[in-house]
Amino acid sequence: MDNTIFRLQDVKFSYLGRYPALCGIDMEIVKGQRVAVMGANGSGKSTLLQMLDGLLFPDTGTIEAFGRTLNEKAFTDTEFNRYFRSKVGLVFQSSDVQLFCPTVKEELLFGPLQFGFAKTEIRSAFDTIVGLLDIEGLLDRMPHQLSVGEKRKVAIASVLMILPDIILLDEPTAGLDPRTSRELANFLARYHDENKTIITATHDLHIIEEIADIIYVIDQNRKIIRRGSPHELLEDTAFLEENNLIHSHLHRHEGMPHVHKHDHLSHYHHHS
Amino acid sequence: MRRNNFVERSLTGAISFLKDSVFADEYASAKGFLQSLDPRIKAFTFVLFVVTAILAKSAVICLILYSLCLALACLSGIHMGFFLKRTWIFIPIFSLFIAIPALFSIFTPGEAIFTMDVAGLKFIITRQGLSGAVLFVSRVVTAVSFVVLLSITTRHFALLKVLRVFGVPQIFVMTLGMCYRYIYLFLEIIQNTYLAIKSRVGTSLGYKKGQHIVAWNMSSLWQRSYYLNEEVYLAMLSRGYTGEPKLSEDLKSGARDWAWLIFSVAVSAFLLMAAGRGTV
Repeated sequence: MDNTIFRLQDVKFSYLGRYPALCGIDMEIVKGQRVAVMGANGSGKSTLLQMLDGLLFPDTGTIEAFGRTLNEKAFTDTEFNRYFRSKVGLVFQSSDVQLFCPTVKEELLFGPLQFGFAKTEIRSAFDTIVGLLDIEGLLDRMPHQLSVGEKRKVAIASVLMILPDIILLDEPTAGLDPRTSRELANFLARYHDENKTIITATHDLHIIEEIADIIYVIDQNRKIIRRGSPHELLEDTAFLEENNLIHSHLHRHEGMPHVHKHDHLSHYHHHS
Repeated sequence: MRRNNFVERSLTGAISFLKDSVFADEYASAKGFLQSLDPRIKAFTFVLFVVTAILAKSAVICLILYSLCLALACLSGIHMGFFLKRTWIFIPIFSLFIAIPALFSIFTPGEAIFTMDVAGLKFIITRQGLSGAVLFVSRVVTAVSFVVLLSITTRHFALLKVLRVFGVPQIFVMTLGMCYRYIYLFLEIIQNTYLAIKSRVGTSLGYKKGQHIVAWNMSSLWQRSYYLNEEVYLAMLSRGYTGEPKLSEDLKSGARDWAWLIFSVAVSAFLLMAAGRGTV
């Protein structure tokens, strides 16, 4: 049985036909995989996720999802639109984009109501997800009353409420403090099971081992230049530095300035 | 110097007014009589009181309703100073300018009760003019007070849901809700942009320069809102939106709400009947 969920072949996309965002992407993602897409700012990660969510379509090349080519025509088919949207959920990079309802509670109910879920199903999902993300105290709040971390949690909860099998996360830890970032990584590690496919766009090396089994790296030419396990990738510091995922910088230890690679994996290191 | 601060004063004044008047829900979240009512029934009964005040041809009826409004404000934990300030600030602006000319015989001829001589011109206040002006102002006071009381004791998203009761289509309710939600975001952007400019150019921003910055800010905000509009639409599509929104209808009414409805209808009917018979 073919477990392939997404198959991308030589996908190219540019904004307004002038600004290239993806320049020939090939990928295959199977059911239950945890995938991370890494790359520096402006490498096209967000565009790729929006394509996987059927919100943007390639200029050339093909994206297949569940065995069907994704294009505008495919989404005019009501049945397929409903099937695809209920299976795939995208957490946007900016939570303000995603939180468009007046209150947190309304936000969580928006998705299930559009799909016409039964009341009992909505109730059960609501209780589970509110508990999982520990957001009970936020339900009556308005989006502008939430902190960045709370907004992110609510944005994730609003996507989980449609009970998707494939979750796409765009920079889930961007702008979060270390503790909230860690909580989120722990949550994603716990949430994953064999039926859930999680695809995360990030350049946060702190969380990569917990949230991904396979990593794709996109370079500044907006092409995939490497595919491998987190372990292999994190070992290759030269490659990471070359692709803007780690950097060397000057800093002080006990008053002694020196330069070394800053990989964001181990902040506490020793000098003999 | 004040001229130089025109832009700053206008921006900060407008932002703080909007934040205080539209987004403050201190009273709406408090525990009190009106806060505990179903917003739909509360809105319906308040509209009923406003209509009664408008139909009443006697200032006494308006004053009875106004007293009821003040009593409800007290029962709902509203600070009286705040409430009176909020309601009476608007009343002189909207009603006195209309009511004052109506006092005089030029506009309302009738029995003279007071005569003024200003620069050789005679101004006569008539009994009919005075009673008309009192009735007009008392109607405005009552109507404005009920509307303000409704808005400060009800959370704004609940008020939007109430629009559904009056037959407003869901798409309008949802669009209004989104406007409300994003106005706050844009206010914050404006405030932060202004602070960023101030931090770079210092406090003495010239009048002309200030105008240019405001114009530039407006265009930048327009671009941002256009971009946001597209992104929000994609976020909605992603969660199953197909052009026909379905919103939650989780408002519930209980015995207390129905009792309040019956009481309000009885009060309005009694006042209108009493006014019809000429007893008040």
